[in-house]
Amino acid sequence: MRLSFLIARQEFIKYITRRGFFISILMFPVWIAIVILIPQWTGGSPQRFFTIVDRAGGYREAILDALTREDAERELTTLSAYVRANVDGDKLRATAPALADMFDRPQSTRSITALDALGGWKGALHKLAAFRKPAARLFHPPTPRFVYVEPPATLAQARQVGAAARPFLESGRFYAVLLVPKDFGAGGRYTAEYFASDQSDRELRAFLADALSAALQRRVLDRVAPALADSDALDVAASVESRNPVKGNSLTGRAETFDSLVPIALAVILFIVSVMNASVLLQGVVEEKSSRMIEVLLSCATPREITSGKLVGVILVALVTVTIWASALFGLMALADASTVSLVFGAMRSVATLDTLPLLLLFFFCGLLIYGSVFLAIGSMATSLADAQSLLGPAMLILMLPNLMISGIMHDPNGELASIISWVPFYTPFFMMLRIASHPPAVQLWGTATLAIATTAFMIWWTGRIFAKHVLTTERPPTLRGLVKRGVQLVTRRRD
Amino acid sequence: MTDIVLELSNVTKRFGNFTAVDHLSFKLNRGRILGFLGPNGAGKTTTLRMLLGILPPDEGTMAVLGRDVTKVRQRTGYLPEERGLYKRMRADAAIAYIATLKGMKRTDAFARARTLLADFGLDEFARVRIEGLSKGMAQKVQLLAAVAHDPEFVILDEPFSGLDPVNQTEVEAYVRALATQGKTILFSTHTMQHAERLCDEIVVIAKGRKLFDGTVDAARALFPRRAHVGADADLSFLRQVPGVLQATPPALGESHWTLEMVEGADGRAVLAACFAKGVPLTYFDFAPPSLHDVFVSLVERTP
Repeated sequence: MRLSFLIARQEFIKYITRRGFFISILMFPVWIAIVILIPQWTGGSPQRFFTIVDRAGGYREAILDALTREDAERELTTLSAYVRANVDGDKLRATAPALADMFDRPQSTRSITALDALGGWKGALHKLAAFRKPAARLFHPPTPRFVYVEPPATLAQARQVGAAARPFLESGRFYAVLLVPKDFGAGGRYTAEYFASDQSDRELRAFLADALSAALQRRVLDRVAPALADSDALDVAASVESRNPVKGNSLTGRAETFDSLVPIALAVILFIVSVMNASVLLQGVVEEKSSRMIEVLLSCATPREITSGKLVGVILVALVTVTIWASALFGLMALADASTVSLVFGAMRSVATLDTLPLLLLFFFCGLLIYGSVFLAIGSMATSLADAQSLLGPAMLILMLPNLMISGIMHDPNGELASIISWVPFYTPFFMMLRIASHPPAVQLWGTATLAIATTAFMIWWTGRIFAKHVLTTERPPTLRGLVKRGVQLVTRRRD
Repeated sequence: MTDIVLELSNVTKRFGNFTAVDHLSFKLNRGRILGFLGPNGAGKTTTLRMLLGILPPDEGTMAVLGRDVTKVRQRTGYLPEERGLYKRMRADAAIAYIATLKGMKRTDAFARARTLLADFGLDEFARVRIEGLSKGMAQKVQLLAAVAHDPEFVILDEPFSGLDPVNQTEVEAYVRALATQGKTILFSTHTMQHAERLCDEIVVIAKGRKLFDGTVDAARALFPRRAHVGADADLSFLRQVPGVLQATPPALGESHWTLEMVEGADGRAVLAACFAKGVPLTYFDFAPPSLHDVFVSLVERTP
């Protein structure tokens, strides 16, 4: 035990003082910053400039009305998120309930009209001044997604709009040109033409289609019930409130998204940390073999003490890595959007409840130990890094398989596929971490936990034997056939 | 306390069909230095690994300090042939790490490491990483790592590898001092001069089998003393001199006749015979066979 502890301590110090460790620690926040912060600083999604050639008449105005509403709705949604994070909600609700209601329902027409009456976001912020928290941050209004530009005469009067639009699209002046033909809406013809050189972004096209549909419906209404068309009665937006009975019927929304993302993040972090640290473990064993340091260690401790010390060392490094990464992640999220931090914390609390936290930790450590054992066994069989690479390739293919199944499993976390694959010993920790927030049946939960413990114990034992058998050999690593044969021999024989 | 520190009895180790060590037996008493000699592939490393408890023997018994080798790990020290240290570790930490694995407390191990480094004049390199030390310095640090925990039995595999003559002398003196302190030392080497100077006893093995076990003098006594005589004349008449068993003319490229003498023969009889014949000598050497000669002869005779 003491020797294992000493070896674990040395392994931990050896790995965390390597240049590669610092680089990997720094790389993750940089990577997250690129993913999270840069889109924020650059204004998120790009602005699309477009124009409309309205040969039918009246539809351009309808689309511009829809555009104004879209901008106002986005502005109010962003403002609502800002209010949640930076305003004393209770005080606001008690003192100005109408204002609070406006921020609670940012999609409703009434709220959008109310914001307009206040003079837009500047007027709303002025009203909120008395309710802002002391450390409230500056509000950054969203930039409009779509910007309408009047069509130039050459385009507006062109016979062939597509051909005339081409130079404008190629030069980037317009992202898209919409042609509403003269007979649009008459005689059952409801097709407008959308010209764009880049068809990958479908948001603008969908927005224009919705706006045209609403305009057509309005025209029909004008014809059949003109009195109703001018009424506000139809200007409503329905919403569906999502509630989860498992969580006390509480309202769910954005937090629900994080509830499903957190298990994925935990499982992926398990994989990244395992592969990153366990591959260093492999490299370390190969170096010890080549420097004959392994002989010195074996003259001090048993193979099992050495392997367990090395595995514990890797777990400590993994824990430090995860802690630093998590801190960096929360720091960056706080920089980007403070409300996200509380949502992620909420999601973590919902994933890691008092019931599930021990199992979550168990699966995490079992996963680390299983993957670490595989890499340690490979390292002890290899005589050089090149040899190790040849064994590492197939092992990585096997270990990476769960990553390819994440979306399938998360689509139906308690489905047949998830239930079956969770019983594959190598993959049990990974898949159960993915599924744990989805409340799998108790039999599966405790059964797979037992399986994970048994697999981990077996892998540590097996690695100890492989290590003892191969760590001093200088011959080439065994073939796959030989490997299987030796594995079977090691399991069936008590001693060589 | 037993005087026999190391005892091997009919120890055999096989790897598949290959017998690396074949019924090897020898003993080593406390405070003695034993040279473990053999050509490449003789089974030395396998024997050392068995002595360290890394490999179990297939047959036979072995005891270190009167016990099973795996039970006395903390009382033994080991210096591997080359680079048996972590390159990125500092010198004092490298010594202290092995000492703690051998049972010392961490603070004591660091204090001991610094004392030993100072004794070797390496105190200013205590905080230098192993990769920053010269090969000779790293070898000394490695030797200190093997003995920092004050072991009773020390195994040194090629301890003089990479050392210049000055450092070799220094390490030789240190090994002798260890023996004087009562430590028992077994060292494996290819350099016969070191074995000749240091060892009280030697064990020579080849192809896994023991060829010789005894003192250096006993090894020399296995072969007749030889006289080397140089002259610009035919010296075959020396075969008639009492005490001369055989006189061999110089081989191609050599200039000396080789005379094999009976045990206790007097070289002066050879000189007197040459003087009587009026043969002027250009060279005369009458020394016991070197360990190098003994080693080569023993190994060459192995079937």
